[in-house]
Amino acid sequence: MSSSALIRTTALWKTYVTEAVETPALRGVDLELHEREFTAVAGPSGSGKSTLLHLLGGLDRPTSGEIYLEGTVMSGLSKDELARLRLTQIGFVFQAYNLIPVLTVLENAAFVLELQGVAKSERIARARRILGELGIAAYADQFPSRISGGEQQRVAVARAVVSEPSIVLADEPTANLDTATSLELIDLMRRLNERKGATFLFATHDGRLLDRVSRLVTLVDGRVASDEVRDPE
Amino acid sequence: MKAAIRHLMRSRGRTILTLLAVLIPVYSIVFMFGFSSANLSDMFETATRVDTGHFQIRHETVRGLGSAIPLMRDPEAALAALGGVEGIEWKTVRLDLPALASVGDRSRTVYVQGVIPEEIGAISAIGDLVVEGTYLASGQDGVVIGAELADLLNVAVGDELVLLGAHPEAGLGVLKAPVLGIYDAPIAELGRTVVHTTLEMARRLARAPNAATAIVGRVAGVTGPWNANRIDTVVAAVAGRLPEGLEVLGWQELAPQVAGFMRLMEPMLWVFAGVFFALGALVVLNTLYLSVMERTRELGLVISLGATRWRVMRMVLLEAALIAVAGAVYGALGGVAVIGIIEAFGGIPLWGSVLDFMKAVGMDPVLHLRASASQVLLAAAAMAGIAVLAAWLPAYRAAKLEPVEAMRHVE
Repeated sequence: MSSSALIRTTALWKTYVTEAVETPALRGVDLELHEREFTAVAGPSGSGKSTLLHLLGGLDRPTSGEIYLEGTVMSGLSKDELARLRLTQIGFVFQAYNLIPVLTVLENAAFVLELQGVAKSERIARARRILGELGIAAYADQFPSRISGGEQQRVAVARAVVSEPSIVLADEPTANLDTATSLELIDLMRRLNERKGATFLFATHDGRLLDRVSRLVTLVDGRVASDEVRDPE
Repeated sequence: MKAAIRHLMRSRGRTILTLLAVLIPVYSIVFMFGFSSANLSDMFETATRVDTGHFQIRHETVRGLGSAIPLMRDPEAALAALGGVEGIEWKTVRLDLPALASVGDRSRTVYVQGVIPEEIGAISAIGDLVVEGTYLASGQDGVVIGAELADLLNVAVGDELVLLGAHPEAGLGVLKAPVLGIYDAPIAELGRTVVHTTLEMARRLARAPNAATAIVGRVAGVTGPWNANRIDTVVAAVAGRLPEGLEVLGWQELAPQVAGFMRLMEPMLWVFAGVFFALGALVVLNTLYLSVMERTRELGLVISLGATRWRVMRMVLLEAALIAVAGAVYGALGGVAVIGIIEAFGGIPLWGSVLDFMKAVGMDPVLHLRASASQVLLAAAAMAGIAVLAAWLPAYRAAKLEPVEAMRHVE
């Protein structure tokens, strides 16, 4: 493993088994992600993008192969240890916003900090600060159902970065957004990457966004078809 | 906490249903306990205040006396044995003997109780139940009879009664006695059979100048069947001090039907309570299970973000606990309020054949409700605890969700 690798996978396989039918989603993926990278995983539907993010995020377990997150072997962790790892080192942004409907924007943004046991005053202050940075401080006391999809996804980004995790994994974060909002969101994530040094890995099949990434990993049929470092616009 | 309350408010219908599943059993159990406590207490009071006292010292059973109680020739020795026993509030000497009461061509078998009028008031309530005439006074010959017996013999206050005493150990004795008073018995059978007279007159009837059949006693601090164990303590203390040939009987031996009924009632009450608890628990389990199913995506998200299994369980259990506590409190308050309102109006008077039945078995013909604080607290705490336990299964299911599958869940 290279010294600066944040995440490394070796011969990562994931096979889904349903009623004796085996469907391989990942077929021996070897990948290294480094700190401060702003990486996109692209590929057609069914290429294994979401599966890769789920495995890297400790939401699912590989059929074989290993994942190392800052040197920790994830396959050796129990469910609760994986939960703690997700809580402290990984931020998530999901395709369908996935905010908690009974919490306000501010409470959603602070939710991970609450799970971490951060004192109320501190988590509110940190959540307000990040909402301000993302331009949605005005909605702090609104419930998710009262704001637009783009604003909801910004709240999801705020929730993902508020605890300053080692890496933010975003699974098709712009899939439900129009072009302008999608580009705005990606630019926002890019700025967080540059200003805060947050490492981002997001899955997308939206070609419009790929110009903004510093590295592009392409998956085809569960294998890494290409891995190129790019000069973002 | 805030999120849990908002979740409950979001699904108002289900929350109200779950609340009712806790509230109704608590309310019903408080009401049921209130009803049964008051009536068991009433039965206990009727048995011990009117007839038996809390305990009696008697001569050991002698075979061949039929329903007659053996005579004690030296009751003073028995009274002396009570000296120094703590907890005895009142004690008096009584002479009970079977007799025949006649007026003209009418006669009935009765039980004459010879009492010391100045002492018996603390132990027997018959003096307070006199509705016509007066109660006994020492040195005054006469009898006080029940209204039922007065009807059967067709006598009124001032009429003369012939008593034919027939104790197997004393032989026959005959006396004429005026009816001084008529009492309204709480048990019809008592009113038909128990005749009060003075101890001196009963001794004359038995032709046994110093005889008695029992030392009747009352124990301090006994307010109902719930603390009747104080009687057992006194009975045990007295038993060790009695002269040979005497025995002490507690209220349960003196009123075996009442004691037996009370022994039967207690487990039955808990069986009923158990059924209420079980039904409440099933509804709580069902509604929370549905709630967890509906919130599968949300719970999957919470797990994805890093909540441990215990944390997820706590979220579900907290909601269950909020509903359970609210339901238990409202149920208990509702039960207590209804009992209070009914008692403020003097209870529920019974009528018709129910009234006759209640009177025949010695129960108050007015339904009274009485729930102790401990019963109310116990019912509320037990139901709340059971509801939270019932929530354990849905909480466990929530904690076992796989995050990826849960977030793909379609509602």
